[in-house]
Amino acid sequence: MANDKSNDVSLSRTFISGFWNENPVLRLLLGMCPTLAVTAAVKPALTMGLSVIFVLICSNIVVSLMRNLLKPHLRILMFTLAIATFVTIADLFLKAFLPEMSSTLGPYIPLIIVNCIIICRAEACASKNPIVVSIIDAVGMGGGFTITLCFLAGIRELFATGAVFEIQVLATPETGGWFVPWAAMGMPVGAFITLGLMLGLTNIISKKA
Amino acid sequence: MVKSIKLFFEQSWLLITSAFVFGLLLSVTNAAWQPRIIQNEIDKFNRLAGAMLSEAKTFELAAEKVEIDMPKGKTTLLEIKKGLDADGNCVGWAFVCHGSGFADKIRLVLTLDAGFETIKGFGVLSSNETPGFGDKIKKDYFRSQFMGMPAAEITLSKTGDYKEIDSEIVAITGATVSSEAVVAIVNNFVGQVRGKLKEKGLIDNGK
Repeated sequence: MANDKSNDVSLSRTFISGFWNENPVLRLLLGMCPTLAVTAAVKPALTMGLSVIFVLICSNIVVSLMRNLLKPHLRILMFTLAIATFVTIADLFLKAFLPEMSSTLGPYIPLIIVNCIIICRAEACASKNPIVVSIIDAVGMGGGFTITLCFLAGIRELFATGAVFEIQVLATPETGGWFVPWAAMGMPVGAFITLGLMLGLTNIISKKA
Repeated sequence: MVKSIKLFFEQSWLLITSAFVFGLLLSVTNAAWQPRIIQNEIDKFNRLAGAMLSEAKTFELAAEKVEIDMPKGKTTLLEIKKGLDADGNCVGWAFVCHGSGFADKIRLVLTLDAGFETIKGFGVLSSNETPGFGDKIKKDYFRSQFMGMPAAEITLSKTGDYKEIDSEIVAITGATVSSEAVVAIVNNFVGQVRGKLKEKGLIDNGK
């Protein structure tokens, strides 16, 4: 009974850690390439996040299932093989069912293959833990990554266009409003500034806690 | 020898098996979704070309792929499509042209009238130009400058009236490189495609 409880606590801790304590973007500084590149608007950021969750869950399941068979010197090769397969499936899915989004995201979906979060979770968690823990870790980490990306994209999209999720929130002069869009927020400079401020805020909050 | 082969398979059987299984999975997925992916590309082409050649009901391949010279001594193969109205008459030409932009390759759908004398317009098939600047090549005020202009050598000007339709295009403020890229793509393809169509006797009655 006590064991079950401690297992539940450990599983929930694994799940939650991805959102704050081990947030891949804000605490581990992993996956910086998509974080900076696809966060000009919320829709592509959400699509990227969901694709990463899919790849993380699938690769963690595969790696966890084969963890006892892995040869130490071949493990990275095996991780890459599994990750590349699921990234290709995600890429084909977007091209087939969300072609506009696929062209918006351009090469950044195939680049998930080299996203450090995925290989990091395969190495740190899935290759050492059973399947349930690996899935929960993938959902937590992927969820934390997705929420952070969407938050960052929300700020950038709002300041760059006056809209969030393509819904106009601040009226621009073209529509009789006062808000002058900051084009810089839609450019890489906007991504660096917003991410820097979010990292600073995270450090302040975590020091206080 | 047998020992080394045994060692090889002991070490790598999982990798070989996984590669085979993952390869099979990818083949099945690709086979299932590839027709849809191809159809999406055709639909996008038809949507963009159809918006500019409103009389065209269908687009069909005019001829076999033709070779187009690209900058730096490269070549590309091009499919030229003929826009047909409900009676099957040719109402214009459409093709996908491309070239280097500021950030990445720009792919355009370019349409011309049946005599290949007037540009009907272009639509952006794909581009990754800078948001807020270069991506304005998709905006109507820039694209509309091409609509109805003669299919001759185009020049780019940094100032002028966007509404004036002549052989001079007014560049987007802050995105001169992207504007130059679009003009260069159009210039490169229009002349060469006209030549190829003339060679095949598809325009000017072969003259």
